[in-house]
Amino acid sequence: MLELRGLSKHFGGVRAVDGLDVTVERGQIFGLIGPNGSGKSTTVNLVCGVFPVTAGSVSFEGAEITNSPPHVALGNGIARTFQNIRLFSELTVWQNLWVAQNGQESVRSQGFFSRWLSGNRGQRASVEEQLEFSGLADKRDEPAGSLAFGEQRRLELARALAARPKLLLLDEPAAGMNLEEVKQLDERLRWLNEQQGITILLVEHVMELVMGVTHRIAALNFGRKIAEGSPAEIQQNQAVQEAYLGRSEEEGDEGGGSS
Amino acid sequence: MDEYLVQVLSNIGMISFLALSAYILLITGEISFGQQAFFAIGAYASGIATAMWGWGFWPGLVWGAAAAGAAAFLLAWPTLRMRGLFFAIGTLAFAEMVRLIFEIFRYQVEIDGELVGPNGSEGFRGIRYIFEQDISAFHYMLLIYAVLAGVLALLFVIERTRLGAIWRMLGEDELLAETEGVNRTYYKVLATVVAGAVAGIGGALYAHMNTYLEPKIFNVMLGVHSLAYGLIGGLGTAFGPLIGVGIDIGLLESARIFSGYRMIVFGGLVALLLIFRPRGLLDEAAVHALVAWWRNTFSSPAKRSGGSGRPPERPGA
Ligand SMILES: Nc1ncnc2c1ncn2[C@@H]1O[C@H](COP(=O)(O)OP(=O)(O)O)[C@@H](O)[C@H]1O
Ligand SMILES: [Mg+2]
Repeated sequence: MLELRGLSKHFGGVRAVDGLDVTVERGQIFGLIGPNGSGKSTTVNLVCGVFPVTAGSVSFEGAEITNSPPHVALGNGIARTFQNIRLFSELTVWQNLWVAQNGQESVRSQGFFSRWLSGNRGQRASVEEQLEFSGLADKRDEPAGSLAFGEQRRLELARALAARPKLLLLDEPAAGMNLEEVKQLDERLRWLNEQQGITILLVEHVMELVMGVTHRIAALNFGRKIAEGSPAEIQQNQAVQEAYLGRSEEEGDEGGGSS
Repeated sequence: MDEYLVQVLSNIGMISFLALSAYILLITGEISFGQQAFFAIGAYASGIATAMWGWGFWPGLVWGAAAAGAAAFLLAWPTLRMRGLFFAIGTLAFAEMVRLIFEIFRYQVEIDGELVGPNGSEGFRGIRYIFEQDISAFHYMLLIYAVLAGVLALLFVIERTRLGAIWRMLGEDELLAETEGVNRTYYKVLATVVAGAVAGIGGALYAHMNTYLEPKIFNVMLGVHSLAYGLIGGLGTAFGPLIGVGIDIGLLESARIFSGYRMIVFGGLVALLLIFRPRGLLDEAAVHALVAWWRNTFSSPAKRSGGSGRPPERPGA
């Protein structure tokens, strides 16, 4: 479904991503792990066209989409969340979900002057649905900026889902969550994948989540893929263990949990 | 009505178009120091149409707005590839270029044994349509405000629609807006063109009130002022910039209390506001609070909540 071929991104002298080959099959939950600074977020940004690639290609459902800007990626059915939560903090929860639909092709084609805050019934139903699923229905009129951290994460996921994506890119969705919240996220990702048929690329540090929920994992270090396989294979892998242990001795591993 | 008062009010009305023009770009997150260029283009184009081509006032006004909008479109392509500071500098350079072009732009025809038309830095005299039609200064002021009310109404409609929502999304977080499917370039070009046309309307009104245009009026200070109006008055609603114009021209310039110190007072006011209310007096929060207060006071509770539709039935997550 998603194919990265020789994908590279250099920032000046920094090879953030360096010749990365990854194939995510339809219906998978694919894990992307690696120490801090190994190029995971950059990979997500390249898939979404946040900045141009230095070399290599991205294809989605057989079509090449290298360097397509973010709104085109969304139109193709690729939605994402950010490592540092991004929401319109002044807008309410409801409005955040509402505006998230305004840029979408299906909604835009209804024309500019269809009304904004009341809008048509289908769109409103879709917002209500996301509110219900994310368990934020009782916070609907609160500004997104005033929500607790875990709620903001849930809202961001709901916002991405409001686009009805085929592929969901999640950049460290469990960062900063407590165990209970991680468990909920685990269930939710399984439900999205199994019941809704959404393919997921999961960038994550929290090993409890990655090892339990993914079908396949690629491990990065210094922008290169050092291993790929099933969760069990990755756990056994010598190079992966060294990458994590090596880093944690030198500079302290913020990810934690890499046993 | 007092002649002086009519003149002050007319000025406030005309400059309001320029303030609204800058405001449209401000809400999409772009700072333009160059909106005076579109004001100038609207003024020259409409003046040429009525004084030289014998057009009526309204076709001249529409033509002025269209010419300014088209110029904005040409500006938008190169400058919108730039971001932030580079956009601001790009617009500034463009506006100065336009002003310099008007300094050398000569296009005159003989009408009734008299040369009429733009004559470089000598200016463009004889835009006399309003006087020939015997429209009084007072009536022309009413006309300015009628057009202003129309443009304001249009902006209020836009702010209630998806287009307005998208502009503000871009203004608050461009990357997030793009991630949510907004085609940045398209909507920013659109904002630039609308902003250009609005400034062009103001220019057309100005040309016909003044009867005389000089390139040097359309200098950078005019652009800086129009930018400041939105920042003073507030970016929460299109009324904001009008408040800014009212404060500057109505109080500072016209009351003459500050006489020669006006610019210092104005600059100080802008600085204070940028510190204490970075998005102006009527900023988004103030507007939300006012709207909420209005709803609570005047409408039935049933209509209040944003989404009153029941959630569809779905299996639990
Ligand atoms: N926009 C950027 N400009 C310059 N360097 C960057 C940028 N984004 C990431 N990098 C660098 O690229 C490397 C990979 O970063 P990133 O992809 O964020 O890693 P990860 O998400 O795996 O922690 C790091 O060295 C980081 O400093
Ligand atoms: Mg990262």
